[in-house]
Amino acid sequence: MSHAVTLALVALLTPAFAALFLAATPMIRRQGKPAAAITILGSVVSFGAALMLFLDRLHSEGTERLVVPWIHTGGKIAAEAGVHVDGVSASMLAVVCFVALCVQVFSLGYMHDEPPADFGRYFTYHALFLFSMNTLVIAPNLLQLFVGWELVGVTSYLLIGFYFKKPSAAHAAVKAFWVTKFADMGFLFGLLTLFVASGSFGWTAKLDPEVATAVTLLFFLGVVGKSAQFPLHVWLPDAMEGPTPVSALLHAATMVAAGVFLVVRANPLFEQAPTTRTVMLVLGAGTALFAALLAMVQTDIKKVLAYSTCSQLGYMVAALGAGSVFAGFFHLTTHAFFKALLFLAAGSAIHAVHSNEIGQMGGLAKKMPLTAGAFTIGALALAGVPGLSGFFSKDLVLEAVEGKLGSIPYVMLLATAFLTAFYMGKVVVLAFFGTPRSEHAKHAHEPDWSMKLPLVGLAILSVVTGYFAGPFAHLNGSHYHFHLGLGAMVAIGLGLSGLGMAWAMFNKGPREVAAITAIDGIAKSRAVNRFYEYGFRKVTLVLSDLLAWIDRYVVDGLINLLGYKTIEAGRAMRPLQTGFAPDYVLALVVGVASLAAWAVLR
Amino acid sequence: MTLSHCLLLATALFSVGIYGLLTRRQVVAILLSVELMANAANLVFVTFSRFKGGAQGQIFALFSLALTVAEVAVGLALVILLYRTHGDTRVDLASEMKS
Repeated sequence: MSHAVTLALVALLTPAFAALFLAATPMIRRQGKPAAAITILGSVVSFGAALMLFLDRLHSEGTERLVVPWIHTGGKIAAEAGVHVDGVSASMLAVVCFVALCVQVFSLGYMHDEPPADFGRYFTYHALFLFSMNTLVIAPNLLQLFVGWELVGVTSYLLIGFYFKKPSAAHAAVKAFWVTKFADMGFLFGLLTLFVASGSFGWTAKLDPEVATAVTLLFFLGVVGKSAQFPLHVWLPDAMEGPTPVSALLHAATMVAAGVFLVVRANPLFEQAPTTRTVMLVLGAGTALFAALLAMVQTDIKKVLAYSTCSQLGYMVAALGAGSVFAGFFHLTTHAFFKALLFLAAGSAIHAVHSNEIGQMGGLAKKMPLTAGAFTIGALALAGVPGLSGFFSKDLVLEAVEGKLGSIPYVMLLATAFLTAFYMGKVVVLAFFGTPRSEHAKHAHEPDWSMKLPLVGLAILSVVTGYFAGPFAHLNGSHYHFHLGLGAMVAIGLGLSGLGMAWAMFNKGPREVAAITAIDGIAKSRAVNRFYEYGFRKVTLVLSDLLAWIDRYVVDGLINLLGYKTIEAGRAMRPLQTGFAPDYVLALVVGVASLAAWAVLR
Repeated sequence: MTLSHCLLLATALFSVGIYGLLTRRQVVAILLSVELMANAANLVFVTFSRFKGGAQGQIFALFSLALTVAEVAVGLALVILLYRTHGDTRVDLASEMKS
């Protein structure tokens, strides 16, 4: 076993052991604190291994893998399970493990007031999540990736529904599960099609153009669900019912990025399907703009960030659709850092103010400068302010999309960049500047070290990651040179003017803006959600009723008819049984005589 | 006395037995009819032993007699039981199995 493979296995299996151990020992889990210690210890080891693996990959070429046969069909091995180490998986693994570790440490403070049993359950889920996500990232084929994909879906369900006694949280968990499961059917059928066409679950197969288009479109359906693209984005804002650190880890940084990761991983297949890429470009750009518009009107700080996540995932999908894998993947990485930072800083503010509503905040910068600073750094990175990580990756995406499809997606993404800067500016100004608008906001104070430390770590990475685009590109088999083109200048201008507008409008406190109110009307109509609800009621339920009727009256009817006819036949034959012995004797004699006659005469 | 005479006699006995079996209503009479049929069969055994040589037929007849005795014992026990439960020995009384 090579060095790299060992590290990958350590990173993969340590959280698995932590999760298994905690699952098997309810006595320890229900104590709370020890469970947290075990999970975080597992994550520290996992992150250490992932970091060493990342550094190792920086100066070694090629891929390394360790696999064991998994599924046999007809004497052949149909699928293997194991680890696959290359630049893509090593960098993703490091990102996932780092953000997971930050979020888990943050949770120590954030979930402090939970009862010990729930505290332990929370950390057990986190260990399970890290294992699941690593399974996905390190997968040597798409089937194992699918297994990890489903596992993160389960942990997402468990963590969204963490406060399962609250009906809205339980509903949100079920909704997230259903919507993503619907999309996963696409992924599954894509996998089966791929296997039938190429005889393996690998991502390097050469396929016929039509087959490649079908497979990748089916995969993309899974991506649309997992990465919350229009029209299956509806679960992500609802998923904010989960604890805020969960939103940071699963629903911003890592799990929702799994869809993008799938496209990066299966890029050799997507390369063969230009049609799919066009669909991705259009849908990604559309989602980016649509979600950015919705983010403008949210009053709940987590909902703003949720729609912003949809929007940024749209950026990544558009970049992948434009054919630039590195742009998409790099934006995934920087986004993971600054969006996790934004969520954790928002969590810190929520923890202090006891409310998600921006209307209840205000003036927090004076009380909690570190949180405010962290949030502002995240917001500026997201807005694409030059020098911060988001600027570099967003610029790459815009560069990739420029000129494609008559530049319409490019214009949409530029508009999104402006809107993004505007709504993030609005949140920063309203939540952290001005005057406090609630009692809690007046008495807000900084959290303890466990919540500050992750903020600092993520803030540093949100700033500096952009400067490592070169090595990162090298790791992913790409090249990167920074150059400040006209497009980048336009994007910078739009971003800064968005921030400036937000400041000009809101530095005196919340106010009504006609354009925002108009969009709010559209958002309040919940058109997409209502479409699904209507569809469910009018199509699914009606169809179910019809099938129930068929089952009750046609299928059951036939069976009942058969039974009834049997009873009737029995009743018709009852008179034969007279109970009078000589009659039976007569029948016997006639029978024997007939047999005798047959024996003699035949 | 030829083979045919003896077999005709046995057939006649058997037919009388069947007739009694089908027409009598008294269980004792039915039992007697059954005895007639059994003895017709015994007669056939003995007849073939007499005309074809060998002793198997006679031995079989003896076995058959012993079996018939046992059968009569069981049959009469049933008759007594019928008399005790129904107060008479008419076969049509025992028709509880009628649908």
